[in-house]
Amino acid sequence: MLRESTQIADTEVELKDVTEGLSDGTQIPNAEALVNFAEAIVSRDCARIAETRKVVFDTLGNDATVDAGAVASAFHGFVRIADTIGIPYDTAAQGQDAPEIREAAGINDFYRIQQAG
Amino acid sequence: MSSIPFENCDYEVRQNLIDAHQEAWAKIAAPGTWLDSEQRLAVVAEIRQARSCDFCHEIKDALSPNAVTGVHTATGALSDAEVELIHRGVSDPGRLSQKWTQDVLAGGLSEGEYVEIVGIIASVMIMDTATTALGCPDTDAPEVVTGEPSRYQPPGARVEAAWLPIVEPEDAVEADGPMYPSPKAGYIYRGLSSVPESMRNYWAMANEHYLPGQYVYQFDQTIRAISRPQMELMAARVSGLHQCAY
Repeated sequence: MLRESTQIADTEVELKDVTEGLSDGTQIPNAEALVNFAEAIVSRDCARIAETRKVVFDTLGNDATVDAGAVASAFHGFVRIADTIGIPYDTAAQGQDAPEIREAAGINDFYRIQQAG
Repeated sequence: MSSIPFENCDYEVRQNLIDAHQEAWAKIAAPGTWLDSEQRLAVVAEIRQARSCDFCHEIKDALSPNAVTGVHTATGALSDAEVELIHRGVSDPGRLSQKWTQDVLAGGLSEGEYVEIVGIIASVMIMDTATTALGCPDTDAPEVVTGEPSRYQPPGARVEAAWLPIVEPEDAVEADGPMYPSPKAGYIYRGLSSVPESMRNYWAMANEHYLPGQYVYQFDQTIRAISRPQMELMAARVSGLHQCAY
């Protein structure tokens, strides 16, 4: 989904950033503020969330802050359905998932794929 | 705790997000398909309890999830199998396995109960994370609602593509009720389909956080206040941190 959306928006993205954190290779506007906010939300560290949320608010405003928080939250549910039900990961992105993309993103190192051999 | 989602929030939260939370909480409190209201609200309490479970933290920190032994710090209201599903589903979902799922089921949970609990885990994780993300307290769990579970079992549910049964779009029947926005709905959408009510309730809420199905593959537009690449970057990073391969 990230790859598709950046291709259509003609924006550069470094796929490895999905697993390793943001790098200079990703050129999405305000990426640093948004990724820092997302990482803080996953950590559930309230002080860190407040600090990073303020940056998003100061940079992008109220509605973007709310929607950024909502999107990051949504994926706290999606991942739990995927990984407790064991849906087939190679059907992601309407079957557009590709081993080389997973490799480039570092996803092939994940436990579930390693366990699948 | 707060009785109204996002109450006294420092940010102006869109009304459809507040409504989605309120409706989802009401549905969580209602009798489900396999669990009654009291059981469903006990699941909510256990989800919140898992955040402070020392054993969960040990598992999460371990190189292998199977390398540590111990006991979950639980509320005491649920069975060991339910506690294991909830705590691991909350704290370390990226390192579950089919064998682990089979062990949980062998511990005394039916497939329907398992899937219904997953639906509650996913819903509460979204809603509690959303309130925390915006600096708001958890929303109070509602009161128990009397009534019996429907015990509806979709005739088309079968174990094939995933570890748990799924109703493929072509196997859905009228009695299942509304199931899929499109026959091409992805497997993430189908995951809860063996408990159709859970699937419907979950997506009604989740869509207000991310995107309704009709927008998911329209990469050139967004209905949110951040662009689609911005959304997907955050989504991918959150998934990556959870070690979710999907």
